[in-house]
Amino acid sequence: MKKLLALLLAAMMVIGLAPLALAEDTVLTVVTWDVAANPYLQLTKEAFEASHPGVVIEYIDVSSQDYDAQKPTTMLAGGDTADVFDIKQLPDLQNWIAQDFVVSLDDYIAASGLDVSRYLGMDKCYVDAEGRAFGLPYRSDFWVLYYNKDLFDAAGVAYPASDMTWDEYAELARKMTSGTEGVDKVYGTHYHTWLSDVANWPVADGVYTLIDGNYEPLRYFYNLAQGLEDDGACMTYSDLKASGLHYRAAFEAGNVAMIPMGYWMVAQLITDIKAGTSNLTNFGIVPVPHLEGLPSGSSFGAPTGCAINKNSANKDLAYEFIAWRCGEEGAKVFASAGARPAYVSEAVADALSSVDGFPSDPASKAALLPVVVGLEWPVVANVNEFKTIVNEEHTAIMSRDITVDEGIANMSERVAEVPGK
Amino acid sequence: MLIAYSFLAPNFLGFLLITFVPVIFSFVIAFLNWNGGAVNKITFAGWDNFAAIFKNFSFTKSDLGITLRNTTVYTLFTVPLTIVMALFLAMVLNRAARGAKFFRAVFFFPYVASIVAICMCWSYMMMKTGPINQLLALVGIHVGKSWTQTKDLAMWAIVFVGVWRNAGYYMVMYLAGLQSVPGELYEAATVDGANGWQKFWKITLPMLTPTTFFVSIMMVITCFKIYDVVAIMTDGGPGRATKMLVTYIYDLSFFQIKYGLGSAVAMVLLIIVLLVTMVQFRAEKKWVNYM
Repeated sequence: MKKLLALLLAAMMVIGLAPLALAEDTVLTVVTWDVAANPYLQLTKEAFEASHPGVVIEYIDVSSQDYDAQKPTTMLAGGDTADVFDIKQLPDLQNWIAQDFVVSLDDYIAASGLDVSRYLGMDKCYVDAEGRAFGLPYRSDFWVLYYNKDLFDAAGVAYPASDMTWDEYAELARKMTSGTEGVDKVYGTHYHTWLSDVANWPVADGVYTLIDGNYEPLRYFYNLAQGLEDDGACMTYSDLKASGLHYRAAFEAGNVAMIPMGYWMVAQLITDIKAGTSNLTNFGIVPVPHLEGLPSGSSFGAPTGCAINKNSANKDLAYEFIAWRCGEEGAKVFASAGARPAYVSEAVADALSSVDGFPSDPASKAALLPVVVGLEWPVVANVNEFKTIVNEEHTAIMSRDITVDEGIANMSERVAEVPGK
Repeated sequence: MLIAYSFLAPNFLGFLLITFVPVIFSFVIAFLNWNGGAVNKITFAGWDNFAAIFKNFSFTKSDLGITLRNTTVYTLFTVPLTIVMALFLAMVLNRAARGAKFFRAVFFFPYVASIVAICMCWSYMMMKTGPINQLLALVGIHVGKSWTQTKDLAMWAIVFVGVWRNAGYYMVMYLAGLQSVPGELYEAATVDGANGWQKFWKITLPMLTPTTFFVSIMMVITCFKIYDVVAIMTDGGPGRATKMLVTYIYDLSFFQIKYGLGSAVAMVLLIIVLLVTMVQFRAEKKWVNYM
């Protein structure tokens, strides 16, 4: 009996160990943000795992606020061994390079034969001062103008044109504004509280940058936004800031006719419309309005990419993953979820516009092809010093504590004192 | 002896590793150029970091001047208001009246509630069309602005939440202080014909001075360290209207990645808190009564 029991116990131990012995899957951890809100993350994970048996992708999900608040940098500084770190803010990568947290990809790229020209220059955002690549872009968002087709239909107003100046846009926003607050109010447009949504537009010419030290070009856009606020054509900055209303929630409430926003919102809108959680059901996109004299399709944006942690135990596999993710295969998966990949090719463009839920009108398809994409912020080591100053004055201007003139004078005066400026 | 040390060790080691060593380290960094680069790129900066933060010093223009002014204003209003409020609550709730225990818990609650949640709630309540402005409108005061988004009101919003949050905690200290006032003093005063006010001014307040001393020191230190409420409610804005010393340190160290400059400001903060506390201890003999 005792023997039988011992045998049984031994058998149980062996059976118990079996799953461990079989579980030889290599786990690749990827630090990223808002996994649930970005469906392409789940899709890329599934597609990569399907084409690479034995590899499991595991996301470490950080909230986007925490991501902006230096959480990944803190993880890297603490010696975290996660393999891949997604890059949300470009200056972060420069810090990571400076602190020797990430791996140079030059040798990997050369060995794998990845065609970086397909990134249309966006890969240059991931190099250090000597031109060595430390990251690759998988997404490249630029800003477009979203509009609610149902509101335009109801008002009997033609949809926003593909080629609009900012003045024409403001006129359209006023035309689309109607109703009473709390009853049937329709806002002609919506500005999120970010500097990039209100006043970043001068960079769309691809020449002007917010570190030039001259902030005069911003004046037109502050006056435009404040004029629209005063006319009730958009919610006020102060209310939005105090309530913390998310831009997507504002547009999905269904009473906002237009909103300039990054291309990333397409995927989120499609998901929410399919899930039935949005009052908005029918949207379209056109290129963002442009200044007089610039071509239609002038926009700005920033790529989203990823880098490999120096502490990763699986660097080769990590590169295999990011090269796949940032290459054509990954790009098609991204496009299928409505997100715009950084990798540009015919196949990818077709995949983008054939996504279920993507607006079917030709203008929305045409909006996928910007002609100029300026960088939101240039990639320089002390860019955050400029950001702090410009953002502080931005909050003071938009909450109407100081006039636009004072704010712009303050920006120029304070930036002039930045060392190395 | 060894046994005594071994009991002290866990707390002492914790203090050493996560408080004392970082403080010393921060003191060293304040004299280094360290902009987030690899450790071998660090260079000695001497007094450069201090020169940089004191450059063009002005209470209306330079970051250090503005944050110093904001932090001082916040402290000067929050400390006395909190003390008055805490003492008032303690006096009212010290009686064995019905419901006293319940209300003690109620007023202590803000201190244990999540700071993020209470700041979000107050932000909403202080919105342009929020309940606070509606109540004020009933008595004829029309604000018409969100408190946290107006430079003249944002500081008061922060002070208000500071007082509201801390009063309950210091009320508990005052309640303990009140328990230790001997009943005979009041009896004797009653026999001498003193009224309620006279008892408060001549007995209660002087007997509570050790508590007040302790509370004021704790409060001043807490106020100079203010960060959380500001980060959630105003993010230092609008403009720089509520940018505090610690907000500035955070911005320099963790957004601009200038550890040297951030640590230099931290040293300034340390010296201010040290000086203020020393002055308070000096003044102790003059006004604090010990039995």
